[in-house]
Amino acid sequence: MKDPIDVAVERPREPRETPESYFVPATDVYETAEELTLVAEMPGVRPEGLTVTVEDNVLVIHGKPEGRDEPAGDLLLKEFEVGEFYRAFQLPADYDTEKIGAGIRQGVLTLRLPKSDRLKPRRIEVKVE
Amino acid sequence: MAIRAWVPAAEPFALLQREMNRVFDAVFGKHFGAGRARSAYVYPATNIHETEDVYLVECEVPGLEMDDLEVYVTGDLLTLSGARPETVPSDGVTLHRQERDTGRFSRAITLAGPVLGDKTEATLANGILTVRVPKAEEAKPKRIQVKAEK
Repeated sequence: MKDPIDVAVERPREPRETPESYFVPATDVYETAEELTLVAEMPGVRPEGLTVTVEDNVLVIHGKPEGRDEPAGDLLLKEFEVGEFYRAFQLPADYDTEKIGAGIRQGVLTLRLPKSDRLKPRRIEVKVE
Repeated sequence: MAIRAWVPAAEPFALLQREMNRVFDAVFGKHFGAGRARSAYVYPATNIHETEDVYLVECEVPGLEMDDLEVYVTGDLLTLSGARPETVPSDGVTLHRQERDTGRFSRAITLAGPVLGDKTEATLANGILTVRVPKAEEAKPKRIQVKAEK
């Protein structure tokens, strides 16, 4: 895994607003014993255009691409449109959302949520009386 | 083009659709709205613009680095190929959702006229590949002077 660029994670003070029109980013979600990882594709989005929020175990990712103005000239082929990316995930309560890690590189956002310590298997040391 | 369920603003069902998707997510753990469109699926999604002097080719290749991409110009044929890296570890994980595509790809685009392969430039930024292919002199429009017949 190459080093992602860190993004600030915000805690919203106002109610979350869904943008009017948006794309749903393709996302891989997988977990290990230690953490949950989300990988979302948002081509054209830089750290400045990205917002990640968590509230009441709802994770919201919102990316606005920058520097993607329509090029000059006649259009010959159009297979993608440019727009915002938005997606909300309902998380189970197993994760320590205070310790979320977020980074974006080449338009791919990677989020890591460590599992709450109380839920990790904990080895109890057996002492001899 | 990896999943795009485009949610337009003025659509009356958009809000209902979103709520339905959330219910599906919770119950089935799979977001139908965000599935890949298999039927007309070409990778990478590409836009092409043409000016008098140049073809501008843009491709969405999120997650790719320069080493993952090969761009060739042969005659008037532009070829893009490469490999999308595996992102989900193969063992030791529980997979909840896999929507991103992986694997090799190759795409060839025939441009409409002669171009200058050795003056072609390709740049990669934020998962967008931009290829500028200059037209050969003979492909550029030439204004013909209309003279009055005597």
